[in-house]
Amino acid sequence: MMHDSAPLGGITLWGQFRRHVWVYAAGFVVLALFQLAMNRIDWLSKAAVDAIFSKDPRSGWEPATGIFALAIFAFGARLASRRFIFNAGRDIEYQLRATMLAHLHRLGAAFYRTMSAGEIMSRATNDLTQVRLLFGFGILNLVNVIFAFASALQVMLVISAKLALASLVNLPILVVVTRRLSQQMFARNRDNQDAIGKLSAIVQANLSGVRVVRSFALEEHEAERFEVGNKYYLDASLALARVRGSLGPAMGAASALGVLVFFWYGSALLLKGVDNGGISKGDFFAFWLALGRMTWPMVALGFSLSMVQRGRAGFSRLLDVFTATPEIVDGTERAPSRVVGALRVRDLSFKYGSRLVVDNVSFDVEPGQSLAIVGKTGAGKSTLAMLLARLLPTPKGAVSIDGRDVCSLPLSFVRSVIGYAQQDAFLFSTTVARNIGLALNDAESPEAFTQICDAATGAQVLDEIATLPEQFETVVGERGVQLSGGQKQRVALARSLLWGPKILILDDPMSAVDTKTEAQILRAIAREAKKRTVVLITHRIAAAARCDAIVVMDNGAIVERGKHQDLVRGGGLYASLAEEQQMARELEELDDVAAISAPAPALLDEGPR
Amino acid sequence: MSPQDERKKSATDKLRAYHEEETIARGYDLQYVRRLWPYLRPHTSYVVLSLITLGVLTAIGLIRPLVMGDVVTQAARQNGDLLFRDGVALAGLLLATQVLTFVQMYTMQLAGARAMAALRTDIFGFMQRLSLRYFDHTPIGRLVTRATNDVDAIGEIFATGVINALGDLVALIGIVVMMLALDWRMSLIAFATIPVVALLVNMTRHRSRKAYRDIRVKTARLNAFLNEQVSGIAIVQAFNREESMGREFGEINEAYREANKRAIFYEAVLDAAIEMVGTLCIASVLYWAGLERLMLSLGDGHVSFALVVTFTQYIKQFFEPISMLAQRYTLLQSGLSGAERIFELLDEKEIESPHAQPIAAPSHVPADEAIAFEDVSFEYKANAPVLSNVSFSAERGEHIAIVGATGAGKSTVASLLLRLYDASSGSIRVLGKDVRAYELSELRRLFSVVPQDVFLFRGSVASNVAMSHRVVDAARVAWALERVGAIDMVLRREGGLNAPVDERGSNFSAGERQLLAFARALYKDAPLLLLDEATASIDSDTEAKLQNALEALIEKRTAIVIAHRLSTIQAADRIIVFHKGRLVESGTHQQLLEQGGVYARLYKLQFAQKHVEEATAQESL
Repeated sequence: MMHDSAPLGGITLWGQFRRHVWVYAAGFVVLALFQLAMNRIDWLSKAAVDAIFSKDPRSGWEPATGIFALAIFAFGARLASRRFIFNAGRDIEYQLRATMLAHLHRLGAAFYRTMSAGEIMSRATNDLTQVRLLFGFGILNLVNVIFAFASALQVMLVISAKLALASLVNLPILVVVTRRLSQQMFARNRDNQDAIGKLSAIVQANLSGVRVVRSFALEEHEAERFEVGNKYYLDASLALARVRGSLGPAMGAASALGVLVFFWYGSALLLKGVDNGGISKGDFFAFWLALGRMTWPMVALGFSLSMVQRGRAGFSRLLDVFTATPEIVDGTERAPSRVVGALRVRDLSFKYGSRLVVDNVSFDVEPGQSLAIVGKTGAGKSTLAMLLARLLPTPKGAVSIDGRDVCSLPLSFVRSVIGYAQQDAFLFSTTVARNIGLALNDAESPEAFTQICDAATGAQVLDEIATLPEQFETVVGERGVQLSGGQKQRVALARSLLWGPKILILDDPMSAVDTKTEAQILRAIAREAKKRTVVLITHRIAAAARCDAIVVMDNGAIVERGKHQDLVRGGGLYASLAEEQQMARELEELDDVAAISAPAPALLDEGPR
Repeated sequence: MSPQDERKKSATDKLRAYHEEETIARGYDLQYVRRLWPYLRPHTSYVVLSLITLGVLTAIGLIRPLVMGDVVTQAARQNGDLLFRDGVALAGLLLATQVLTFVQMYTMQLAGARAMAALRTDIFGFMQRLSLRYFDHTPIGRLVTRATNDVDAIGEIFATGVINALGDLVALIGIVVMMLALDWRMSLIAFATIPVVALLVNMTRHRSRKAYRDIRVKTARLNAFLNEQVSGIAIVQAFNREESMGREFGEINEAYREANKRAIFYEAVLDAAIEMVGTLCIASVLYWAGLERLMLSLGDGHVSFALVVTFTQYIKQFFEPISMLAQRYTLLQSGLSGAERIFELLDEKEIESPHAQPIAAPSHVPADEAIAFEDVSFEYKANAPVLSNVSFSAERGEHIAIVGATGAGKSTVASLLLRLYDASSGSIRVLGKDVRAYELSELRRLFSVVPQDVFLFRGSVASNVAMSHRVVDAARVAWALERVGAIDMVLRREGGLNAPVDERGSNFSAGERQLLAFARALYKDAPLLLLDEATASIDSDTEAKLQNALEALIEKRTAIVIAHRLSTIQAADRIIVFHKGRLVESGTHQQLLEQGGVYARLYKLQFAQKHVEEATAQESL
């Protein structure tokens, strides 16, 4: 995947149209044919009516038959026009949605801090829908209006230019009214979409935190929060309704004026008769049909304009995402063909706003070696780890793989070489197998299954997966809810183990695991460590001790470094941590030993360990 | 099928069943109209006004063609005065139509929007009562759709005047009556082509409905997937899964598009058919008029131009609403589909029972009993018990530590105490009363909870710490933070107490989140404390800080600490040991020592260790 810094330039409404210009052209042609047929129908009506009220009524049957045939042709043309244009609208929607996800994939943490999940979702759903309506119904109507106008006007002008002028006196009024109201609509639409977005976000947050809401009896508090958003939306939608509601009647009144004038003046001309410079019954009838054909598109113009406004409003909200610049981008150099896995960090610093989170950190990890990063809460360990994998904007020259600056290399390469397994075990709503096999292209092949089992074994979670209702095929609920905390963590660990990047960074992968299980997991990680470089972020000294080297972080800086024995002897931060945990671990290990050797009390009646 | 293919198919099927809700194929739609009525009822006056206006509009609509016909007649008779009168009447009718249309539409929309706001409130309120089991198997994206998009779909029914369909129906009947009255033979000819269209409409209607249901299902799947991509973006990026996720999304996206294209086709057929029929009817009228005129010249028939004009206008007025009817019908369909899903949710039985159940107080309960489990068993899924016959109790002010391997059932104890889930058998008491005998909110207010998975809402540090209360007491927030030793960490951040907290607290490390959760529990100051492996991912230093705060906190209250770090367990009054869902050892520190079991040995060793250290330290002096 290409990670460039271009903020998706060139995504414009016009650009989208151009991509499908041929389909639209076909739609427009068919639409034109439709209106042409309607035009012919008007003329045939004139012929029929004149014939009917003449000496030879039977001569009216031929044009009437013509009308029949044309009506059927018009059916086909109208159907085709909708298919072409609406389908194009759907195609555009499809492409924009795909592009949106692709762009979201390229954006970094900085963006996600500015826009909540709910707001992003609102754009991907509501706003995108408005854009699609613009490209479908909106365009169809706008073009239809033009053709309808042309085809009807032709009839009217030919019959009587004066009558046409009189009947269309309302046009300027129509235009003025349309413009004013449509501007108001744009503003109201934006407010409306805003309100929906905010409401979605509130519901989203509430549902994600359901356990907390219940545990803390926050239901009322949440209901209040919701009401605020609900009221805001109600007000916005009513304001929109007022404008939308006025549009129809305003246009209706303006076009009714035209009909009124026609009936007055038209009947006066009918009175005169054809011979005296007036019109025939057929003329009157045909003119009336043509005027009628124009009325509906004119009124529909109002709706189409509102659709265009809403579409534009929606599109500008989509641009909020599209124009966000990915802050983490590919480097310009080519990826090396071979990777040994030597990691070098020099003077790495990083700030969140004004807060210095990582302070001038430097260390080396030789290929095949393992490094433990130990430190207090908030010491900057996770931030450091994310910087290594370029999940945060890494400063140039600070981190290198095999001597190559990570910022100069392609992003996908860096991430495939430096793998970061985050603290918060996030699992997707899919099967356990697919979660563990996330890094695989085909999670269902027999080789994949073997790998998945091995990884599960390494993470000490295989037995528990076997007890799940559908074992590996069990669907894990939203954010892996059905699993316990420890199980989730171990599944996530299995995922990392299977992935096996050359440099593996594990961020506190065993916090929810007891020390017995931890020992087994550490053995698996040790096996991994032989094949690759491992950076282990942990609190547990037992895990750190197994690593080739250790650095201790405090307030973002490295305060101690060395091998386990040296640090323990050094009597500093590490040493005190080690002492406490050593005792705890020994005691827990002893727990097992005692249980096996001592006669089991009545309560302990499980089988052999 | 090879086992691998079978596995693949089974996985795909399961995923589809999980993600795509069943396409509910029910026939009766009217029940939803009935169920929506209570929401509309408070706004009846608006609805009535709207309907009255609609009635007037319909009447005007029926008169209009007559006036138009009369205009032509007066013109033919060269009767200027009557022509003028007709003209004015027509102008008045047209103007009245527009004004009344606005009134009618807006009042209906007013009623509708307010009704929808009330419906949304109810849906949201209902979701606060759904049991946690429900959330375990339902994606959030789907539920958000219920409260937003689906309600909007129903709202569209009002916004676009689907209710007008009723008025249209009356108008249609009126038109037919008028036309028959004027010239029944011409009327019949005019309507001759309608059966053809009715057939076409019927054929597409069923398919159109199915297409719309399909769209709803695919929409939900699309949104759920996208939602997860956003939530799990860090993982997607870290694992370089952008492309494969993009491909998977592409498939779902495409399925959605194709479903919509199908719907477009059926709608277009419907729409074009109706347009065509209008023209065919007018052509029929002309045929007939021609025939009549022929008869006239032969001494029979009585068709005038005025009649043709009137009939044409009636036909136009007939087919305008019919074409709108098709659109309105599809809007109605999607609105009803939305209503279907909403009411399916509101009919959900998996809800918490919030009210106190009348459970007889057990025979003898010790006066100062804080918590008691009596022979409690629990399972998430059948035949996979998480707790089996667990019994223990705690006195007021006691500090209980629950230990055991992960997944041994410890966290479930907390869930059951809070009644997030109900026990399968046995009874649980809090402060002497069965948990089911409490109002749910009352029960939960008794607990300060520090859960395993700390969840922070988007807001500020202060709002998150003071979460359980409406009014944020900043001084108290500061005090709570200081007690847990987190005040420095917070003040170091931009904004201090008002430092922003991102969604899910992602701008804080796991350890920092734990500290905030601890401060939150302290702030709430409830009589019972539930700590669930809270100290698991904090380094020993911070843990020590928490230990001190914990001791102060539990001084005045009962505490249940679910943990597996010996250091925290040491401070407990009594220790309970779980193994595979059963309680295997229990007792005060002293009792367990005297028992000479597992725990006794552990303690002795630590004591011996300390003794050796002290001796060594003394020697080196």
